[in-house]
Amino acid sequence: MTNKEVLDTASLQRALTRITYEIIERNKGGRNLVLVGIKTRGEYLAHRIADRLEQLEGVQIPVMAIDITNFRDDQPDHHENLGLNEAEKLNISEQNIVLIDDVLFTGRTIRAALDALIHIGRPKTISLAVLVDRGHRELPIRADFVGKNIPTAQNEKIKVFVQEIDGKDSVEILH
Amino acid sequence: MIRHLILEDGTTFEGLGFGAPATTFGEIIFHTAMTGYQEIITDPIYDGQMIVFSMPVVGAAGIHAEAYESVKPMIRGMIVHDLAEVSVNRQRRMNLDRFLKQHNIPGLYQVDTRKLIRHLRETGPQKATIVDYADDHAVDQLVATVLTNKQVQNTATSKPYANPGRGRHIVVIDFGLKHGILRMLGDYDANVSVLPYTTSVDEVLTLDPDGVILSTGPGDPRSLPESVLTLIRVLQTKTPLLGIGLGHELFALANDATLVPLPSEHHGMNHPIQEIISKQIFYAMQGQGYAVDETLLDRKKLFVTYRDLVDGAVQGLRHRDYPAFSVQFFPDAAPGPYEATAVFADFFETVEDYVEHHS
Amino acid sequence: MSNITVKNILFIGAGSNDFGLEAEHDAAIYQVMPELKGHGINVFLIDENPYALSLESLAAEAIWQPLTVENIKHVIKNNHIDTVLPLFGGTRAVRLWATTVQQWEHGDGPVPRTLGLSIDMLLRVNNLPNLTRYMADAGLPVLTSHVVKAQDDANELLRELQIPLMIRSLHPKTTNTRQMVERLDEFEEAIDYAKKQSMTQEIIISKAINGLKEVSMEILRDFRGNKMKIGASEDMDPIGIHTADSLSVAPTLTIQDQVLEKMRTYAFQVADLLGLQGIMHVQFAFDDSTGAIYIIKVSPYVDQMASRMALVTGYPVMLVAINLAMGIALEDIVLPHDFGEKTAMMEPMMDHVAVKLPIFPFGELEESDVSVNRQLNSIQKSVGSTIGFGRTFIEALEKAIRSAHFNNATFSPTNMAHISDDALIQQLIHPEDNRVLLLIEAIKRGYEIDELAELTNIDEFYFYQLGHLLQLELKVENDADSIESLRLGKQFGLSDGLIALFWNTNFTNIRSLSKEHQIEATYKALEPSAGEFPENARQYYSTFEEENESVQVSDNTVMVIGSGAFRLGDAASGGYATTIVLSELRRLQYHTIIMNNNANDATLMQNLADKQYLEPLEISDVMKVVELENPVAIIVPGNRRKLITALRELDQNVLILPKEKHMPSGPVDDRTEFALNIFSDGQQIYPVNMTQHVAGELRIISQIIELPKQLAQTHLENPGVYQVIWYENGHDWVDHVEISDISYDTWLRPMPFGQVAFISKVMQVQWVRITVRALLGRLTEQDQKLLENVNKLTLQTDVSLVAADVNYDLHLQPIEPIDGTRFELGVNIQYYDQK
Repeated sequence: MTNKEVLDTASLQRALTRITYEIIERNKGGRNLVLVGIKTRGEYLAHRIADRLEQLEGVQIPVMAIDITNFRDDQPDHHENLGLNEAEKLNISEQNIVLIDDVLFTGRTIRAALDALIHIGRPKTISLAVLVDRGHRELPIRADFVGKNIPTAQNEKIKVFVQEIDGKDSVEILH
Repeated sequence: MIRHLILEDGTTFEGLGFGAPATTFGEIIFHTAMTGYQEIITDPIYDGQMIVFSMPVVGAAGIHAEAYESVKPMIRGMIVHDLAEVSVNRQRRMNLDRFLKQHNIPGLYQVDTRKLIRHLRETGPQKATIVDYADDHAVDQLVATVLTNKQVQNTATSKPYANPGRGRHIVVIDFGLKHGILRMLGDYDANVSVLPYTTSVDEVLTLDPDGVILSTGPGDPRSLPESVLTLIRVLQTKTPLLGIGLGHELFALANDATLVPLPSEHHGMNHPIQEIISKQIFYAMQGQGYAVDETLLDRKKLFVTYRDLVDGAVQGLRHRDYPAFSVQFFPDAAPGPYEATAVFADFFETVEDYVEHHS
Repeated sequence: MSNITVKNILFIGAGSNDFGLEAEHDAAIYQVMPELKGHGINVFLIDENPYALSLESLAAEAIWQPLTVENIKHVIKNNHIDTVLPLFGGTRAVRLWATTVQQWEHGDGPVPRTLGLSIDMLLRVNNLPNLTRYMADAGLPVLTSHVVKAQDDANELLRELQIPLMIRSLHPKTTNTRQMVERLDEFEEAIDYAKKQSMTQEIIISKAINGLKEVSMEILRDFRGNKMKIGASEDMDPIGIHTADSLSVAPTLTIQDQVLEKMRTYAFQVADLLGLQGIMHVQFAFDDSTGAIYIIKVSPYVDQMASRMALVTGYPVMLVAINLAMGIALEDIVLPHDFGEKTAMMEPMMDHVAVKLPIFPFGELEESDVSVNRQLNSIQKSVGSTIGFGRTFIEALEKAIRSAHFNNATFSPTNMAHISDDALIQQLIHPEDNRVLLLIEAIKRGYEIDELAELTNIDEFYFYQLGHLLQLELKVENDADSIESLRLGKQFGLSDGLIALFWNTNFTNIRSLSKEHQIEATYKALEPSAGEFPENARQYYSTFEEENESVQVSDNTVMVIGSGAFRLGDAASGGYATTIVLSELRRLQYHTIIMNNNANDATLMQNLADKQYLEPLEISDVMKVVELENPVAIIVPGNRRKLITALRELDQNVLILPKEKHMPSGPVDDRTEFALNIFSDGQQIYPVNMTQHVAGELRIISQIIELPKQLAQTHLENPGVYQVIWYENGHDWVDHVEISDISYDTWLRPMPFGQVAFISKVMQVQWVRITVRALLGRLTEQDQKLLENVNKLTLQTDVSLVAADVNYDLHLQPIEPIDGTRFELGVNIQYYDQK
């Protein structure tokens, strides 16, 4: 099995930087902004974006992580555990949420995440940022912020590596 | 032949002449780059200036077809310590001495350039002349000379032209464009239209660009007409925009920033520049006499994206509401480190993204 | 601060000196250990080299043991070492640490963390084919070798790689099967031959790069991935001549910006690939005609390029490197206050030229009737180097040459007049150590420059420069007593001595003539901003310009004359002695000035002296500095007799560090050399101990000695450590020697610095420091007491000084064996069984 790197360290970091700038552009200074990362890698990406916002604006944007493994529509009892405590749930009402994930594929994960968010509160807006959009959507979902569009075949696997848990930053296609 | 350099403050230096035996006037600055003399002396940003190189031996790398930043040297004089007289390009047709002769530009060598640079670092840039005799007459001439502030008019194109490619359509507004920018756009196979800086908004928009670049250029941006700023204010709302060098300064002015002359100008490629958002440090060619005053910035419009870590000078800006940004340093690596070329990647990704979302 | 917590750190030293291994690692370790100690870290060091300065540092607990895996494991275990730093010990330490890790066993406890490179990368760096493949996979332009068996495959490679090609046998039956194929019609034959010589009929084909330009680049990287270029140099000599044997120039002069930026990008990519936290030297081959660039070597650790770049740029390479290895980001590095606040982050710029000239051992070998192969090739033959600094290439070259040769007769332009035209051409194609003179001779005889450039693969620029030099010398020679010529000559680095030689007079006349006409040396600061910012520079070099920047340090300075390049016999011991002298002078609260020209010598470490003059060491150079600094004393090694006499004639207060003019030979074959070691404080002689030297090994005899009667009355005016020597037959080790009567066949000499270093470490008595104190009349009561009782310290030591295992056959191909008894290149220690 050979892996093909489609995004190297520098490009991955630049993609996150650009997403951050675009978030600033569309959220007018980050008022009432909450970043919600979809576990596992989306959470790390959310923290990276929050760090970048802090570097630039000197403000700390709240970051929250949700685990939707139990929330997907292909799972039974999918409304159970989001991995959030009560305090975190309160935060999202009337907030502008940016939902962050590593790869956008069929859209089912995102849909589950939207369900979950709406389940726990009443956000003002929800937008979506993904590092990679690989196509093959099965639901009418579109990302507002895309790091990189990478057209793929159905049978290919795409993997995002992040420094925090994988020891490197890159995006690879696994054959 | 012994010739002389006279500075406005009365200081004189003796050296041997090379290049043309002409007498010229210009603003003298010093440059610390150790390579890239050909690119530097042909860069339109140095129109009307005299350059002292801290690199002690200049000329040994020859003159090469691929190292022109414009078709001829733009400087008024070149001062070096040691001239490597004989080094020729591969075709053995050209060397530095001959190149300057051909374009009637004087050079001076065997000058104590370190002394001169240590002097200039205290006084800042000043008027200077290269002459045969350092007499009172020459000093009077220098004092009486008024240097032009029409450098952009001198160097920028007055007619639109195209540099076709098969990729995105990029309009370059020319304030004294250097070849490096076109070379970079070529790397992205961009379909380039270069327009004079007097172009109207309509003329630009009729071309339906995917992105606009405000080019580098010489001189004080505040000497340009207000219409340029109006043009920028409109274009930044219509399409992704990148300002470079003078283009960055104009982008800043268009968004109510204030420019101040730098206490010590940056001409070199060794200052650490930090991308604030990622804390990454890189190096790039700089040629900068003015800087954006960060304390007077309208933070509702612009924020700082890059900073020079030596003196804190602003090196990049971004608009809060539009995909418009600018860099003070030169990201085209001509000459200079390649790291900075990532700015063009950022620009093209922004263009792609913009096209995607607005189609 | 650092993102790494370290309690007990171990430095691995570089071991004994060898070809390409001078004092650069020792100096680097010596410099950086106090940095860590300053941060509350317990610093340990293991090294075996008796000349090592760092083993005497107060900043570390030094472990003086042979560098073996076993010893390293012991040290780690006994001292609870949690972190190991091999990168400052260079390639040998890296290899040793990699082997140690590979041989780590369960019972050894947890493997300590490695700083600078991950273990994985360390192992890779240590495995060249693996590293090459790794870089090739990442798309970097490395030279790869291809193994083929079939002629068809070979033909494919011919088309892919293009001639010239290097062809050799895989699993060869004979030792050297390398063949260069430069013409198409040689190809098949070469393949046939290589196949026949291979036990498996397989051949290795690679692109030949002989004749290309060699460029070296030093870069650094921090844990965040920030990268910076420290500097680059180009070799005048093409690839095919080992870079250490090449004349190197920094900054690069003939390389275009675009090419250099490409190399920079490759070097940065390698650093990222390795995840480096520290400094790295990358060597490139550059094909001027095609623009192709190849990475030929990566060295992610301290080496001679690192120490040379520190010296020629003024950038604090080692201090920054230790910070990076400790996980401190480039922008957070805090340097000592005499550096600019932003110095660490700014890429150093040079406004001077530095020429490195290799020093070959051929002269010394010739004197002892050993003939060797003098032809330069890809195996290093030089044993040292000097650097000349100037504002032009010629000035720097002239100063490097003058630094290499203490007298100018060896570099007279008439030196080559006798060589025949045929021999000249032969030597142009197959260069020897004297090639600079040869190139000048060729120009003199009217060869065209493009012709010469083609024959030698040397850039035309250098021929034009050497042509200028020739013109200049002819002008000076033919224009005796002309002020104009004098001015010109001095501007381009000709010494008073050489001009005097041309004009049949002596240097004092030239000196007064120059003074009379105000042709005076000016000193320029050597600092990393090239004049852009004010810096408190400590390094200066002379030139002839308008502005002088050097001002007198104080009215209480002592100036020390360094020993220049390393040579056979002396090796690093001279640098050891001079460095300790400087350290002691500072302790005695003198301001110190060092004059020297060797980048691999510890004396030129940043911050060791209050001021450095990077200069040749001829009388005219020394006097120029003396006139400016007006030192209270000048310390000169005793072998520089002419310099000492000349300085004394000019009423200077010269203090001599005792040293023989020529390195004495030791005993051969079946003989033993005994030495009765004594110390003179200038008035009185004190017995120290006895040493026994058989070929290649020296031991201290544990015997209490008294002064024999012959010595009791002797007066040695110059303080220092001396020895009375005699020879006896046989080579058995003894534990007692009768010395009551030494009146026959003995002679007195200063103890060689190498032995001084050895006995200082074994006895834990700082003999060089005591010598300095004695020279300056500053011996303390404690010193007196020690000197009176030092002979009674019977030493139960089991350490002996042994000649390092140097592969002379590989490097020099001598016809007769090389005399190892002088401890020619380096020394080591060995433990022996006590009776």
